[in-house]
Amino acid sequence: MNSKRILVVDDEPSITRNLKLTLESGGGYQVLGENHAPNALRATRMFRPDLILLDVMMPGMDGGDVAARLRADPLFRDTPIIFLTAIVSNEETDGHEMLNGGETFLAKPVDIGELKKTIQEHLRH
Amino acid sequence: MPVIVGLLAALVIAVGCVDYLTGLELSVSLLYLMPITIATWVAGRSMGNLVALASAGVWLGADFLERHTYGHCFLPVWNTLTLAISFLVVVALLASLREANEGLEQTVARRTKALQAENAERRRTEEELLQTLDDVRQTHAELQHTQLQLIEAEKMESVGRLAAGVAHEVKNPLMTLSLGADYFLHRKTENPDEALLAQDMKEAVHRARNVINVLLDYARPRPLQLTREDIHNVIENSLTLVRHQLNKQHVTVVREFDTALPSLSLDRTRIEQMLVNLFINAVQAMPPGGTLTVRTFPSGDRAAPAGVILEVDDTGHGIMPENAGKLFEPFFTTKPPGQGTGLGLAIVRRIMEIHGGSVHLGNREAGGVRATLHFNTQLKETL
Repeated sequence: MNSKRILVVDDEPSITRNLKLTLESGGGYQVLGENHAPNALRATRMFRPDLILLDVMMPGMDGGDVAARLRADPLFRDTPIIFLTAIVSNEETDGHEMLNGGETFLAKPVDIGELKKTIQEHLRH
Repeated sequence: MPVIVGLLAALVIAVGCVDYLTGLELSVSLLYLMPITIATWVAGRSMGNLVALASAGVWLGADFLERHTYGHCFLPVWNTLTLAISFLVVVALLASLREANEGLEQTVARRTKALQAENAERRRTEEELLQTLDDVRQTHAELQHTQLQLIEAEKMESVGRLAAGVAHEVKNPLMTLSLGADYFLHRKTENPDEALLAQDMKEAVHRARNVINVLLDYARPRPLQLTREDIHNVIENSLTLVRHQLNKQHVTVVREFDTALPSLSLDRTRIEQMLVNLFINAVQAMPPGGTLTVRTFPSGDRAAPAGVILEVDDTGHGIMPENAGKLFEPFFTTKPPGQGTGLGLAIVRRIMEIHGGSVHLGNREAGGVRATLHFNTQLKETL
């Protein structure tokens, strides 16, 4: 049993639900899914994830804002974040230093094999 | 002028001689009017006056030589004076007539000149008007062309926005499907059909993802990454990418390359993508097999070519007349559902346009389709 915890933040409940199912059953991770950015920020402090899968385009607070808040918190400054985005483009990342700061982006629909590999690489460091 | 003066003097003297010789009984005084009128008409008022006075003097001289005896010594002076005055009046009248005539001629000449100038001006204005009319016609034609281009560009932009929006919205549900299919695929099951079903779902998602990527590529093309390339290397690489389809459909490739062509500045990946689209179209147009001819040659002067022409010929069924105007429209396809997005040729045109080139499709006389691509030697550096 892998004891690593992964927080999945996406405004699509079907995605958080499926990622949770896939990563828990296929990777042995503990996964918490959140569909609202403010809830995700609160849940982070309680859940203490080892890695965060973060959707970029969400209503209200987008992935860039969530990442900026997390990076401002000493507890999560070094927690790896993998962005999941429907369209990887300059327009989406413009104005978000956090999104242009060398973080990992995966384009939806994510290939699950690639996702698992990326997660393993980040958790290994 | 001296010649005229001499002649007039001779004439006056001649008349004087006639006057003298004819004696007192035969009056020839009116003959003096001859040199006077000639002098006035030819040389003007001053010369007329001079000749008039001279004539009066000559008349007096002739009268004196004839030894005409008068009752009073003042009478010859009186006669001379009245004669001179009469001559001067004639001169005055004739000179006025002459000046009026000259004035009239000058007025006519001036007005003729003004009319000629006016006519010339009118002709010039007319030519300018005709030129302006031509310019207006040309501008109108250009405006119509630009308007059509603008409409086309707006249409393309709308399609692009729509494609981007659709792609974005479809990606999330696709991800859910992908994750669900993957979950079922890795779940241990005793029913092999379930695994097959999950595999089909994964492949369907993969296909949908490819379509979306094509859509996005069309909607938001990446900036060009230009490098100097030998067009023939790019063609060969593209042919390698479609080798499987060429062999499968028994298509023979004929190369007619002008190897002396200059290298071109182009985005190799995108040109390859474009050529693959064209080759696949050609292969699909020849289901029983055929010949794919790829030809290159310079455009314009061979010594200093303005660009490079690349032709792709197939021996397929050709373009139906009703489809000729729609070939480059996004989402227009004659292929069965699932076999084409209808974006292949739209992407070809866009790639050529952002390279500053052009593409034309038409039927060949011998049958099949010819795609003609024109590359400029100097290409745009940016999108």
